[in-house]
Amino acid sequence: MTSSTNDPLVIAGREFRSRLLTGTGKYDTFETMREALAASGSQIVTVAVRRIDLDARDDDITAFLPEDVLLLPNTSGCETADEAVRTARLARAGGLPDWVKLEVIPDPRYLLPDAVETLRAAAALVEDGFTVLPYVLPDPVLQKKLEEVGCATVMPLAAPIGSGRGLKLRDSIRIMVEQAEVPLVVDAGLGSPSHAAESMELGADAVLVNTAIARAGDPVAMARAFRLAVDAGRAAFRAGLMEEGVQAIASSPLSGAVHGP
Amino acid sequence: MRASVRVNGRAEPVAEGETVAGLLERLGLGARYALVERNGEPVERERYEEVELEDGDRLVIARPVAGG
Repeated sequence: MTSSTNDPLVIAGREFRSRLLTGTGKYDTFETMREALAASGSQIVTVAVRRIDLDARDDDITAFLPEDVLLLPNTSGCETADEAVRTARLARAGGLPDWVKLEVIPDPRYLLPDAVETLRAAAALVEDGFTVLPYVLPDPVLQKKLEEVGCATVMPLAAPIGSGRGLKLRDSIRIMVEQAEVPLVVDAGLGSPSHAAESMELGADAVLVNTAIARAGDPVAMARAFRLAVDAGRAAFRAGLMEEGVQAIASSPLSGAVHGP
Repeated sequence: MRASVRVNGRAEPVAEGETVAGLLERLGLGARYALVERNGEPVERERYEEVELEDGDRLVIARPVAGG
């Protein structure tokens, strides 16, 4: 039995057993990706949208994706709100779900999202009937504004995309957890299962992981490890963590030692 | 009379009355998960069979790819 029993993740009224969202990027092969996705237990899987190269025919990724997962198109590659809205509308018209992982990223070095354009795109997409999951810097004020315009989740980054550095922005994310009115998904920068568990212990509702699984020595085994870590972290959060202290508090009786008087 | 459209920036001759679905098939994309935008507006998948291309149309054909 796992912590997911009777503890579903609910996004926009839809229930998910798994609290681990996964990306499909950076796998060596689509076969490995397919196995890793299955091992992860993920029910929400992201894809990007790009122009087809008419001269180079690559494999169709959709042939390698499990049928029972929700495909979540992202707007990666978009630097403005208008570009992101255009990409999301194209994806939906072509038959992808009307859910979108909203990314508006003008900065190529750290891949940090543009808060102003993200909020603008989020408002337009919600208005147009999309279920919007925006990727943002951990900004509790922006979180409230995204909730106000009707976003289904807010997804703060732990550290820059693909960096694997873990919860570097922990204190801001803690504030977001405390005041969240829609599910909070820690997205990007998680490098190990312990980072994922830490996010869940902190009270995040879910995490989104790509590179840490895809670039692992054994991506399928790592997907399983992340699944366990997310479940463990969630179970710990629900169990209620002990309070931290500075001094030691003995676990064994302080009196009656064998060598006593 | 033959018409010409631009597909992802490249000139492509099309027959009169050719539909989006017809073009996708001819480009070898019939079986793929293709997303189509025509003159800046997305084309609903259900309409690929009925939307006829016109001379000068600008098309973007995209697809889902690996991403995070």
